[in-house]
Amino acid sequence: MSNMREIKTRIKSIEDTMKITNAMYLISSTKLKKAKKTLENTEPYFELLQSTIADILEHSTEIPHKYFDKRSDMPEEKRKKGYIIVTGDKGLAGAYNHNVIKLAEQEMKKPGENILFLVGQVGARAFRKMNVHIDTEFLYLAQKPSRYGSRSIAETVLEAFQEKRLDEVYIIYTKMISSVKIEPELIQLLPLKKKRFQELEKKSDIDDYIRILRYSPSPKEVLDKIVPNYVKGLIYGALVEAFAAQTYARMTAMQSATDNAKEMLQDLSLRYNRERQAAITQEITEIAGGANAL
Amino acid sequence: MAETFYLKVVASDRQFYEGPCEMITFIGVDGSYGILPHHECMVTPLEAGELTLKINGVKKEAAVGEGFVEILPNQVTVLTDFCEWADEIDVRRAEEAKQRAEERLRQKQSIIEYHSSKAALSRAMARLKVTRKMR
Repeated sequence: MSNMREIKTRIKSIEDTMKITNAMYLISSTKLKKAKKTLENTEPYFELLQSTIADILEHSTEIPHKYFDKRSDMPEEKRKKGYIIVTGDKGLAGAYNHNVIKLAEQEMKKPGENILFLVGQVGARAFRKMNVHIDTEFLYLAQKPSRYGSRSIAETVLEAFQEKRLDEVYIIYTKMISSVKIEPELIQLLPLKKKRFQELEKKSDIDDYIRILRYSPSPKEVLDKIVPNYVKGLIYGALVEAFAAQTYARMTAMQSATDNAKEMLQDLSLRYNRERQAAITQEITEIAGGANAL
Repeated sequence: MAETFYLKVVASDRQFYEGPCEMITFIGVDGSYGILPHHECMVTPLEAGELTLKINGVKKEAAVGEGFVEILPNQVTVLTDFCEWADEIDVRRAEEAKQRAEERLRQKQSIIEYHSSKAALSRAMARLKVTRKMR
């Protein structure tokens, strides 16, 4: 008899959990629609920004500039590497946060001093426990990517780079490769690397005859202005993409949780019915036995 | 039909304009620029301010944020933080943003804070300037 009651409480608790996962699934699927729309609107900018900067660099002769300075005189172990790590504010999003943190940990094992700039609560919590140097936590951005927020991140890292508190700056976020595939990715923000742009260059639709670009008023002034803008745009694009990826991850995680719960419920109700049947049969046999004995 | 060049204006949250254009004027670091077809290849930063497009003989005005302009043979690309037609601008919001920025500028600030308030002020001014002309 106690077995029946046990099964019943289990069914109840699974039903309750399913209510939550199902509600979260519905919420994230509507959020995803919104996030995807923002992503679609931002994507042309994000791509054009990268290909245009690539184009500009391609067609200009070597310009010595502070943002190209690799600081190769610094030994590998002493280089200060800044990582902007974009995670979500909440868990329950499958392997989304875990994958980003894993990639970050992998990168941080490389020689050099690590300095972290964190976006999102989950990442902040995970890295606080580890013994790492956290510079700034931008906790308000994971749910709502904004131009204002990306501006403040960009300003923070650019200032640190110029003051030589940082020698390299990377951003780790989750990229939506297609609408059903997400993967964590690492992009080097500073110093600007020509090689990275050359790979992108092939994809750009601008034909490749040789042009001589003039910089007005001067190459230095142009780069002084354009590079911070580029960094800011890139961070904004990454935040938007990460948010869409996060919502997508949460949606699929919750969907599979709901499916699992349904399966378990079916299984349990079958078992419950069997138990009930067995109990009834037993009672009848007992009564019948008792009647016979009289 | 006047001669045109191909123009692409892309803001960080939308594709603003794509198509033929006769003339474009914008504010650069050292003053305003006017670009006609067959302009020399050039790259220049864009400051927050007015952007005027001449399409089919009609001049249209918009407010833009910071960014840059790339001029290639018969193709001009404008990449900017935001871009809004004059009739899309929320005047009250811009007015408030301007007051906020002015308030911050009056206080003592670090150099970074100063620059960001200055930039916020110029963005608000750009929006207001474009709308003022319309009225």
